[in-house]
Amino acid sequence: MFGRVKPLWGEKSSLKSNYDAVIIGGGLHGLAAAYFLARDHNMRNVAVLEKRFIGFGGSGRNTAIVRANQRTQENVPLYKEALALWPVLTKDLDYNLMFFNCGNLNLMHSEAAMNAARMNVATAQFHGVESHLIDAKQCKELVPALNILADITYPIFGAMYHPPGGILRHDAIVWGLAKGAAEHGVHVHQQTEVTGIGVENGKIVSVETDKGQIKTPRVLNAAGGYSAALSYQMLGIKLPISVLTIQAMVTQPLKPLLNHVVSSGAYHAYANQTLKGEIATGAHMDSWPNYTTQTTAYYIKHQAEALAEMLPCLRGVKFMRHWGGLADMTPDMAPIMDGNDSIEGYFMDCGWGYFGFKSCAASGKYMAQFMASGNCPNMLKPFSLRRFEQHRLMGETAAVVNYTPDN
Amino acid sequence: MALTLTCPVCGKRNGYEFRYGGEEKGPRPDEAGITPRSWCEYVHMNQCVAGIQKEWWCHKDGCGVWFTTHRDTTCNLEVDKPEAQS
Repeated sequence: MFGRVKPLWGEKSSLKSNYDAVIIGGGLHGLAAAYFLARDHNMRNVAVLEKRFIGFGGSGRNTAIVRANQRTQENVPLYKEALALWPVLTKDLDYNLMFFNCGNLNLMHSEAAMNAARMNVATAQFHGVESHLIDAKQCKELVPALNILADITYPIFGAMYHPPGGILRHDAIVWGLAKGAAEHGVHVHQQTEVTGIGVENGKIVSVETDKGQIKTPRVLNAAGGYSAALSYQMLGIKLPISVLTIQAMVTQPLKPLLNHVVSSGAYHAYANQTLKGEIATGAHMDSWPNYTTQTTAYYIKHQAEALAEMLPCLRGVKFMRHWGGLADMTPDMAPIMDGNDSIEGYFMDCGWGYFGFKSCAASGKYMAQFMASGNCPNMLKPFSLRRFEQHRLMGETAAVVNYTPDN
Repeated sequence: MALTLTCPVCGKRNGYEFRYGGEEKGPRPDEAGITPRSWCEYVHMNQCVAGIQKEWWCHKDGCGVWFTTHRDTTCNLEVDKPEAQS
Protein backbone atom coordinates (compact mmCIF):
# COMPACT_ATOMS: atom_id res chain seq x y z
CA MET A 1 0.00 0.00 0.00
CA PHE A 2 2.82 2.40 0.79
CA GLY A 3 5.01 1.23 -2.09
CA ARG A 4 7.12 3.48 -4.23
CA VAL A 5 5.03 6.02 -6.11
CA LYS A 6 5.36 5.73 -9.86
CA PRO A 7 5.32 9.08 -11.68
CA LEU A 8 2.41 9.72 -14.02
CA TRP A 9 4.80 9.99 -16.94
CA GLY A 10 6.13 6.47 -16.43
CA GLU A 11 9.28 5.01 -14.97
CA LYS A 12 12.46 6.97 -15.52
CA SER A 13 13.77 5.95 -18.92
CA SER A 14 17.46 6.02 -19.70
CA LEU A 15 18.70 8.52 -22.24
CA LYS A 16 19.06 6.89 -25.64
CA SER A 17 21.80 7.91 -28.07
CA ASN A 18 19.31 8.41 -30.92
CA TYR A 19 15.99 10.22 -31.16
CA ASP A 20 13.91 11.36 -34.13
CA ALA A 21 13.30 14.64 -32.36
CA VAL A 22 14.69 16.32 -29.26
CA ILE A 23 12.65 18.97 -27.51
CA ILE A 24 14.50 21.37 -25.24
CA GLY A 25 12.32 22.46 -22.34
CA GLY A 26 9.85 20.38 -20.32
CA GLY A 27 7.27 23.11 -20.12
CA LEU A 28 3.82 23.26 -21.63
CA HIS A 29 4.95 24.08 -25.17
CA GLY A 30 7.60 21.36 -25.26
CA LEU A 31 5.34 18.71 -23.73
CA ALA A 32 2.41 19.67 -25.97
CA ALA A 33 4.61 19.43 -29.08
CA ALA A 34 5.89 16.02 -27.92
CA TYR A 35 2.36 14.82 -27.20
CA PHE A 36 1.02 15.81 -30.62
CA LEU A 37 4.12 14.49 -32.44
CA ALA A 38 3.57 11.07 -30.86
CA ARG A 39 -0.23 11.03 -31.04
CA ASP A 40 -0.97 12.56 -34.44
CA HIS A 41 2.22 12.07 -36.45
CA ASN A 42 3.40 8.68 -35.26
CA MET A 43 6.74 10.12 -34.24
CA ARG A 44 7.24 8.28 -30.95
CA ASN A 45 11.01 8.24 -30.69
CA VAL A 46 11.04 11.68 -29.09
CA ALA A 47 12.85 13.04 -26.03
CA VAL A 48 11.85 16.03 -23.92
CA LEU A 49 14.90 17.38 -22.08
CA GLU A 50 14.29 19.43 -18.96
CA LYS A 51 17.11 20.98 -16.93
CA ARG A 52 15.15 21.01 -13.65
CA PHE A 53 11.72 19.39 -13.41
CA ILE A 54 8.73 19.63 -15.71
CA GLY A 55 6.69 22.76 -15.14
CA PHE A 56 9.49 24.51 -13.22
CA GLY A 57 9.39 27.63 -15.38
CA GLY A 58 6.56 29.75 -16.71
CA SER A 59 4.28 26.70 -17.00
CA GLY A 60 3.95 26.51 -13.23
CA ARG A 61 4.24 30.23 -12.49
CA ASN A 62 1.54 31.81 -14.62
CA THR A 63 -1.89 32.70 -13.25
CA ALA A 64 -3.62 30.11 -15.43
CA ILE A 65 -5.88 32.49 -17.38
CA VAL A 66 -7.03 31.44 -20.85
CA ARG A 67 -8.70 33.72 -23.41
CA ALA A 68 -8.90 34.43 -27.12
CA ASN A 69 -9.46 38.19 -27.19
CA GLN A 70 -6.17 39.17 -28.80
CA ARG A 71 -5.92 42.14 -31.14
CA THR A 72 -4.79 40.91 -34.55
CA GLN A 73 -6.30 38.57 -37.09
CA GLU A 74 -3.19 36.36 -37.11
CA ASN A 75 -3.30 35.77 -33.37
CA VAL A 76 -7.01 35.34 -32.64
CA PRO A 77 -7.51 32.04 -34.55
CA LEU A 78 -4.56 30.42 -32.77
CA TYR A 79 -5.85 31.25 -29.30
CA LYS A 80 -9.40 30.38 -30.33
CA GLU A 81 -8.23 26.91 -31.23
CA ALA A 82 -6.36 26.56 -27.94
CA LEU A 83 -9.53 27.51 -26.09
CA ALA A 84 -11.49 24.84 -27.93
CA LEU A 85 -8.83 22.24 -27.12
CA TRP A 86 -9.13 22.28 -23.30
CA PRO A 87 -12.29 20.17 -23.03
CA VAL A 88 -10.97 17.87 -25.77
CA LEU A 89 -7.61 17.41 -24.03
CA THR A 90 -9.32 16.76 -20.71
CA LYS A 91 -10.94 13.72 -22.34
CA ASP A 92 -8.00 12.62 -24.48
CA LEU A 93 -5.50 12.85 -21.63
CA ASP A 94 -8.01 11.34 -19.20
CA TYR A 95 -6.89 13.96 -16.72
CA ASN A 96 -8.93 16.68 -15.04
CA LEU A 97 -7.53 20.03 -16.21
CA MET A 98 -10.07 21.84 -14.03
CA PHE A 99 -11.18 24.22 -16.79
CA PHE A 100 -13.42 26.86 -15.21
CA ASN A 101 -15.16 28.71 -18.04
CA CYS A 102 -15.81 31.89 -16.07
CA GLY A 103 -15.24 34.49 -18.79
CA ASN A 104 -12.92 37.51 -18.85
CA LEU A 105 -13.66 41.15 -18.22
CA ASN A 106 -11.10 43.66 -19.57
CA LEU A 107 -11.85 46.95 -17.87
CA MET A 108 -11.59 50.20 -19.83
CA HIS A 109 -10.90 53.48 -18.07
CA SER A 110 -11.25 56.12 -20.79
CA GLU A 111 -13.22 56.88 -23.96
CA ALA A 112 -10.09 56.15 -25.98
CA ALA A 113 -9.85 52.71 -24.36
CA MET A 114 -13.55 52.10 -25.11
CA ASN A 115 -12.89 52.88 -28.78
CA ALA A 116 -9.93 50.51 -28.81
CA ALA A 117 -12.19 47.87 -27.26
CA ARG A 118 -14.78 48.42 -30.03
CA MET A 119 -12.14 47.57 -32.62
CA ASN A 120 -11.05 44.56 -30.59
CA VAL A 121 -14.62 43.28 -30.27
CA ALA A 122 -15.12 43.70 -34.03
CA THR A 123 -12.01 41.58 -34.68
CA ALA A 124 -13.24 38.91 -32.28
CA GLN A 125 -16.70 38.79 -33.84
CA PHE A 126 -15.19 38.58 -37.34
CA HIS A 127 -13.35 35.44 -36.20
CA GLY A 128 -16.37 33.95 -34.47
CA VAL A 129 -15.09 34.57 -30.97
CA GLU A 130 -17.72 35.76 -28.54
CA SER A 131 -16.84 39.19 -27.15
CA HIS A 132 -19.06 42.09 -26.15
CA LEU A 133 -18.60 45.70 -25.18
CA ILE A 134 -20.46 46.49 -21.97
CA ASP A 135 -20.85 49.65 -19.91
CA ALA A 136 -19.90 50.24 -16.28
CA LYS A 137 -23.35 49.34 -14.97
CA GLN A 138 -23.28 45.99 -16.76
CA CYS A 139 -19.80 45.39 -15.27
CA LYS A 140 -21.27 45.92 -11.83
CA GLU A 141 -24.08 43.46 -12.60
CA LEU A 142 -21.55 40.81 -13.64
CA VAL A 143 -19.12 41.48 -10.77
CA PRO A 144 -20.96 43.10 -7.85
CA ALA A 145 -17.68 43.51 -5.94
CA LEU A 146 -16.36 45.92 -8.59
CA ASN A 147 -16.06 49.61 -7.71
CA ILE A 148 -17.65 51.69 -10.49
CA LEU A 149 -17.70 54.99 -8.57
CA ALA A 150 -16.09 58.01 -10.20
CA ASP A 151 -13.89 58.96 -7.25
CA ILE A 152 -11.11 56.43 -7.83
CA THR A 153 -7.84 56.97 -9.69
CA TYR A 154 -9.09 55.33 -12.89
CA PRO A 155 -12.91 55.23 -12.97
CA ILE A 156 -14.39 52.35 -14.99
CA PHE A 157 -16.02 53.38 -18.29
CA GLY A 158 -16.92 49.88 -19.39
CA ALA A 159 -15.35 46.60 -20.32
CA MET A 160 -14.72 44.06 -23.02
CA TYR A 161 -16.54 40.94 -21.86
CA HIS A 162 -15.25 37.67 -23.27
CA PRO A 163 -17.37 34.74 -22.03
CA PRO A 164 -15.40 31.83 -23.63
CA GLY A 165 -12.31 32.48 -21.49
CA GLY A 166 -11.57 31.30 -18.01
CA ILE A 167 -8.97 29.58 -15.89
CA LEU A 168 -7.41 26.15 -15.71
CA ARG A 169 -5.12 24.43 -13.29
CA HIS A 170 -1.68 24.94 -14.83
CA ASP A 171 0.07 22.05 -13.02
CA ALA A 172 -2.63 19.67 -14.19
CA ILE A 173 -1.89 20.51 -17.82
CA VAL A 174 1.84 19.97 -17.31
CA TRP A 175 1.24 16.59 -15.67
CA GLY A 176 -1.54 15.61 -18.06
CA LEU A 177 0.53 16.37 -21.17
CA ALA A 178 3.57 14.56 -19.72
CA LYS A 179 1.38 11.56 -18.94
CA GLY A 180 -0.20 11.62 -22.40
CA ALA A 181 3.16 11.99 -24.14
CA ALA A 182 4.71 9.17 -22.10
CA GLU A 183 1.78 6.87 -22.89
CA HIS A 184 2.56 7.37 -26.57
CA GLY A 185 6.21 6.49 -26.04
CA VAL A 186 7.85 9.89 -25.52
CA HIS A 187 10.79 9.97 -23.08
CA VAL A 188 10.63 12.81 -20.55
CA HIS A 189 14.15 13.35 -19.14
CA GLN A 190 14.21 15.63 -16.14
CA GLN A 191 17.42 16.98 -14.61
CA THR A 192 19.03 16.77 -18.03
CA GLU A 193 20.71 19.94 -19.17
CA VAL A 194 21.42 20.72 -22.80
CA THR A 195 25.00 21.98 -23.16
CA GLY A 196 25.28 22.29 -26.93
CA ILE A 197 23.65 21.72 -30.28
CA GLY A 198 25.61 20.08 -33.08
CA VAL A 199 25.24 21.46 -36.62
CA GLU A 200 26.94 20.07 -39.71
CA ASN A 201 26.55 21.46 -43.24
CA GLY A 202 23.62 23.61 -42.13
CA LYS A 203 21.76 20.67 -40.61
CA ILE A 204 21.06 19.67 -37.03
CA VAL A 205 22.94 16.46 -36.20
CA SER A 206 23.11 16.16 -32.44
CA VAL A 207 22.36 17.59 -29.02
CA GLU A 208 24.96 17.57 -26.24
CA THR A 209 23.68 17.08 -22.72
CA ASP A 210 25.29 16.66 -19.31
CA LYS A 211 24.28 12.99 -19.56
CA GLY A 212 25.80 12.37 -22.98
CA GLN A 213 25.34 13.02 -26.67
CA ILE A 214 22.11 12.42 -28.59
CA LYS A 215 22.05 12.04 -32.36
CA THR A 216 18.97 13.66 -33.83
CA PRO A 217 17.88 15.39 -37.04
CA ARG A 218 15.38 17.71 -35.32
CA VAL A 219 15.53 20.04 -32.34
CA LEU A 220 12.77 22.22 -30.95
CA ASN A 221 13.78 25.15 -28.79
CA ALA A 222 10.90 25.47 -26.32
CA ALA A 223 12.98 26.71 -23.42
CA GLY A 224 10.65 29.58 -22.52
CA GLY A 225 12.48 32.38 -20.71
CA TYR A 226 15.83 30.82 -21.54
CA SER A 227 15.14 30.23 -25.24
CA ALA A 228 16.77 33.43 -26.49
CA ALA A 229 19.96 32.98 -24.44
CA LEU A 230 20.12 29.34 -25.54
CA SER A 231 19.60 30.25 -29.18
CA TYR A 232 22.44 32.81 -29.11
CA GLN A 233 24.88 30.78 -27.02
CA MET A 234 24.47 27.47 -28.82
CA LEU A 235 23.71 28.52 -32.39
CA GLY A 236 24.67 32.19 -32.60
CA ILE A 237 21.11 33.11 -33.60
CA LYS A 238 20.02 36.34 -31.94
CA LEU A 239 16.33 36.78 -31.25
CA PRO A 240 14.33 40.01 -30.83
CA ILE A 241 13.55 39.11 -27.24
CA SER A 242 13.92 40.80 -23.86
CA VAL A 243 13.62 38.57 -20.81
CA LEU A 244 11.77 40.26 -17.97
CA THR A 245 10.76 39.08 -14.51
CA ILE A 246 6.99 39.14 -14.00
CA GLN A 247 5.38 38.72 -10.59
CA ALA A 248 2.12 37.33 -9.28
CA MET A 249 0.62 36.61 -5.89
CA VAL A 250 -2.38 35.02 -4.17
CA THR A 251 -4.41 36.13 -1.19
CA GLN A 252 -5.76 33.96 1.58
CA PRO A 253 -8.72 31.79 0.47
CA LEU A 254 -12.06 33.63 0.55
CA LYS A 255 -15.70 32.75 -0.03
CA PRO A 256 -16.68 33.05 -3.73
CA LEU A 257 -16.90 36.72 -4.70
CA LEU A 258 -15.25 37.01 -8.08
CA ASN A 259 -16.72 34.74 -10.74
CA HIS A 260 -14.90 36.31 -13.71
CA VAL A 261 -11.32 37.14 -14.57
CA VAL A 262 -11.03 40.91 -14.16
CA SER A 263 -8.14 42.82 -15.72
CA SER A 264 -7.23 46.44 -16.07
CA GLY A 265 -4.51 47.99 -18.20
CA ALA A 266 -4.66 51.34 -16.43
CA TYR A 267 -4.32 49.82 -12.97
CA HIS A 268 -1.78 47.39 -14.38
CA ALA A 269 -3.43 44.52 -12.55
CA TYR A 270 -5.63 41.52 -13.07
CA ALA A 271 -7.39 39.26 -10.61
CA ASN A 272 -9.35 36.04 -10.60
CA GLN A 273 -10.57 33.76 -7.87
CA THR A 274 -9.21 30.23 -8.04
CA LEU A 275 -11.39 27.21 -7.36
CA LYS A 276 -9.71 27.05 -3.95
CA GLY A 277 -10.93 30.57 -3.14
CA GLU A 278 -7.66 32.49 -3.35
CA ILE A 279 -7.59 35.70 -5.37
CA ALA A 280 -4.77 35.16 -7.85
CA THR A 281 -3.50 38.49 -9.04
CA GLY A 282 -0.56 39.86 -10.96
CA ALA A 283 0.75 41.84 -13.91
CA HIS A 284 3.82 43.70 -12.67
CA MET A 285 6.81 43.30 -14.93
CA ASP A 286 10.28 44.65 -14.29
CA SER A 287 11.06 47.27 -16.90
CA TRP A 288 14.61 46.03 -17.45
CA PRO A 289 15.76 42.57 -18.57
CA ASN A 290 16.81 40.16 -15.84
CA TYR A 291 16.71 36.48 -14.95
CA THR A 292 16.26 36.94 -11.19
CA THR A 293 12.57 35.93 -10.77
CA GLN A 294 12.89 38.15 -7.71
CA THR A 295 9.78 39.47 -5.96
CA THR A 296 9.62 43.04 -4.70
CA ALA A 297 7.92 45.01 -1.91
CA TYR A 298 7.40 47.76 -4.51
CA TYR A 299 5.00 45.49 -6.34
CA ILE A 300 3.10 44.24 -3.26
CA LYS A 301 2.32 47.88 -2.51
CA HIS A 302 1.25 48.58 -6.08
CA GLN A 303 -1.01 45.54 -6.18
CA ALA A 304 -2.59 46.32 -2.81
CA GLU A 305 -3.35 49.87 -3.98
CA ALA A 306 -4.84 48.71 -7.29
CA LEU A 307 -7.00 45.97 -5.75
CA ALA A 308 -8.20 48.21 -2.92
CA GLU A 309 -9.59 50.64 -5.52
CA MET A 310 -10.95 48.16 -8.06
CA LEU A 311 -12.34 45.62 -5.58
CA PRO A 312 -12.71 47.49 -2.27
CA CYS A 313 -14.02 44.40 -0.44
CA LEU A 314 -10.45 43.05 -0.61
CA ARG A 315 -9.11 45.79 1.69
CA GLY A 316 -7.46 44.10 4.67
CA VAL A 317 -7.21 40.71 2.97
CA LYS A 318 -3.77 39.13 3.37
CA PHE A 319 -1.45 38.05 0.59
CA MET A 320 -0.32 34.46 1.21
CA ARG A 321 2.25 33.74 -1.48
CA HIS A 322 4.17 35.84 -3.96
CA TRP A 323 6.40 34.61 -6.77
CA GLY A 324 8.14 35.63 -9.97
CA GLY A 325 8.73 34.04 -13.34
CA LEU A 326 10.31 34.95 -16.66
CA ALA A 327 8.55 36.45 -19.66
CA ASP A 328 10.39 36.47 -23.00
CA MET A 329 8.92 39.55 -24.63
CA THR A 330 9.14 40.39 -28.34
CA PRO A 331 8.76 43.97 -29.63
CA ASP A 332 5.33 43.22 -31.15
CA MET A 333 4.08 41.04 -28.28
CA ALA A 334 3.53 38.10 -30.59
CA PRO A 335 5.50 34.83 -30.47
CA ILE A 336 8.17 33.48 -32.81
CA MET A 337 7.30 30.08 -34.27
CA ASP A 338 9.69 29.18 -37.01
CA GLY A 339 11.87 26.38 -38.28
CA ASN A 340 14.07 25.01 -41.07
CA ASP A 341 15.29 28.53 -41.74
CA SER A 342 19.08 28.93 -41.96
CA ILE A 343 19.56 25.66 -40.02
CA GLU A 344 17.66 22.63 -41.30
CA GLY A 345 15.98 20.74 -38.50
CA TYR A 346 16.10 23.60 -35.99
CA PHE A 347 12.67 24.70 -34.84
CA MET A 348 11.78 27.39 -32.35
CA ASP A 349 8.67 28.11 -30.35
CA CYS A 350 9.54 31.08 -28.18
CA GLY A 351 8.98 34.76 -27.47
CA TRP A 352 5.67 33.95 -25.80
CA GLY A 353 5.96 36.64 -23.16
CA TYR A 354 3.14 36.23 -20.69
CA PHE A 355 0.69 34.49 -23.06
CA GLY A 356 2.43 31.15 -23.49
CA PHE A 357 0.02 29.43 -21.15
CA LYS A 358 -3.18 30.19 -23.02
CA SER A 359 -1.70 29.14 -26.35
CA CYS A 360 0.24 25.99 -25.49
CA ALA A 361 -2.24 23.41 -26.80
CA ALA A 362 -2.62 25.05 -30.22
CA SER A 363 1.05 25.92 -30.69
CA GLY A 364 2.06 22.37 -29.67
CA LYS A 365 -0.34 20.95 -32.22
CA TYR A 366 0.93 23.11 -35.10
CA MET A 367 4.61 22.89 -34.16
CA ALA A 368 4.24 19.09 -34.16
CA GLN A 369 2.73 19.30 -37.65
CA PHE A 370 5.61 21.56 -38.75
CA MET A 371 8.29 19.26 -37.31
CA ALA A 372 6.76 16.07 -38.69
CA SER A 373 6.16 17.35 -42.23
CA GLY A 374 8.91 19.95 -42.53
CA ASN A 375 6.35 22.36 -44.02
CA CYS A 376 5.17 25.36 -42.06
CA PRO A 377 1.39 25.18 -41.49
CA ASN A 378 -0.48 28.27 -42.69
CA MET A 379 -1.51 29.05 -39.13
CA LEU A 380 2.14 29.59 -38.13
CA LYS A 381 3.39 31.42 -41.24
CA PRO A 382 2.78 34.95 -39.89
CA PHE A 383 4.91 34.18 -36.81
CA SER A 384 8.25 33.74 -38.60
CA LEU A 385 11.42 35.32 -37.27
CA ARG A 386 11.92 37.12 -40.58
CA ARG A 387 8.89 39.35 -39.99
CA PHE A 388 11.16 41.64 -37.96
CA GLU A 389 13.57 42.34 -40.82
CA GLN A 390 10.61 42.67 -43.21
CA HIS A 391 9.14 45.33 -40.92
CA ARG A 392 5.96 43.26 -40.63
CA LEU A 393 5.56 43.50 -36.87
CA MET A 394 2.17 42.47 -35.60
CA GLY A 395 -0.20 44.91 -33.97
CA GLU A 396 -0.61 43.05 -30.68
CA THR A 397 0.86 45.96 -28.73
CA ALA A 398 -2.40 47.78 -29.47
CA ALA A 399 -4.33 45.25 -27.39
CA VAL A 400 -3.20 46.35 -23.94
CA VAL A 401 -0.63 48.50 -22.24
CA ASN A 402 2.80 47.40 -23.31
CA TYR A 403 5.60 46.33 -21.09
CA THR A 404 8.74 45.70 -23.08
CA PRO A 405 11.83 47.86 -22.71
CA ASP A 406 11.74 48.20 -26.50
CA ASN A 407 8.72 50.41 -26.63
CA MET B 1 15.49 47.09 -3.38
CA ALA B 2 15.54 45.13 -6.55
CA LEU B 3 17.97 47.36 -8.42
CA THR B 4 20.44 50.14 -7.62
CA LEU B 5 22.37 51.88 -10.38
CA THR B 6 25.31 54.26 -10.30
CA CYS B 7 24.62 57.40 -12.32
CA PRO B 8 27.89 59.04 -13.46
CA VAL B 9 26.49 62.41 -12.34
CA CYS B 10 24.31 61.64 -9.30
CA GLY B 11 25.96 58.50 -7.89
CA LYS B 12 24.12 55.47 -6.52
CA ARG B 13 20.36 55.83 -6.96
CA ASN B 14 17.19 53.72 -6.79
CA GLY B 15 16.80 51.70 -10.00
CA TYR B 16 13.22 52.88 -10.54
CA GLU B 17 14.58 56.38 -11.36
CA PHE B 18 16.17 54.97 -14.53
CA ARG B 19 14.95 53.87 -17.92
CA TYR B 20 16.58 50.86 -19.52
CA GLY B 21 17.98 51.70 -22.96
CA GLY B 22 18.88 48.28 -24.35
CA GLU B 23 21.97 46.15 -24.76
CA GLU B 24 25.13 47.88 -25.98
CA LYS B 25 25.29 47.01 -29.69
CA GLY B 26 28.09 49.26 -30.90
CA PRO B 27 27.66 52.31 -33.15
CA ARG B 28 24.56 52.82 -35.28
CA PRO B 29 25.17 51.17 -38.66
CA ASP B 30 26.22 53.39 -41.53
CA GLU B 31 23.28 54.23 -43.78
CA ALA B 32 25.29 53.60 -46.93
CA GLY B 33 24.79 49.98 -47.95
CA ILE B 34 22.49 49.13 -45.08
CA THR B 35 20.22 46.11 -45.55
CA PRO B 36 16.91 45.33 -43.82
CA ARG B 37 18.70 42.49 -42.05
CA SER B 38 21.55 44.55 -40.65
CA TRP B 39 19.13 47.27 -39.54
CA CYS B 40 16.90 44.67 -37.85
CA GLU B 41 20.00 43.20 -36.18
CA TYR B 42 20.80 46.60 -34.71
CA VAL B 43 17.26 47.58 -33.74
CA HIS B 44 15.64 44.37 -32.51
CA MET B 45 18.07 41.54 -31.93
CA ASN B 46 19.40 40.83 -28.45
CA GLN B 47 21.92 38.45 -26.94
CA CYS B 48 19.81 38.05 -23.77
CA VAL B 49 22.87 37.16 -21.71
CA ALA B 50 22.14 35.36 -18.46
CA GLY B 51 25.20 36.89 -16.76
CA ILE B 52 27.13 40.11 -17.18
CA GLN B 53 26.10 42.41 -20.01
CA LYS B 54 26.99 45.94 -21.07
CA GLU B 55 23.87 48.03 -21.37
CA TRP B 56 22.46 51.56 -21.72
CA TRP B 57 20.48 53.46 -19.10
CA CYS B 58 18.97 56.94 -18.88
CA HIS B 59 18.60 58.69 -15.53
CA LYS B 60 15.04 59.59 -16.50
CA ASP B 61 13.78 60.89 -13.14
CA GLY B 62 17.09 62.56 -12.31
CA CYS B 63 19.71 64.41 -14.29
CA GLY B 64 18.68 62.87 -17.64
CA VAL B 65 22.13 61.60 -18.59
CA TRP B 66 22.61 58.51 -20.79
CA PHE B 67 25.36 56.11 -19.74
CA THR B 68 26.50 52.50 -20.05
CA THR B 69 27.07 50.10 -17.22
CA HIS B 70 27.81 46.42 -16.69
CA ARG B 71 25.19 44.45 -14.80
CA ASP B 72 24.76 40.79 -13.92
CA THR B 73 21.29 39.94 -15.23
CA THR B 74 20.99 36.93 -12.91
CA CYS B 75 21.19 39.03 -9.72
CA ASN B 76 20.60 42.66 -10.83
CA LEU B 77 23.96 43.81 -9.41
CA GLU B 78 26.27 46.25 -11.14
CA VAL B 79 29.76 44.92 -11.78
CA ASP B 80 32.77 47.15 -11.15
CA LYS B 81 35.34 45.31 -13.19
CA PRO B 82 33.50 44.75 -16.42
CA GLU B 83 35.96 42.43 -18.14
CA ALA B 84 34.60 39.12 -16.81
CA GLN B 85 32.71 38.21 -19.99
CA SER B 86 30.57 39.91 -22.56
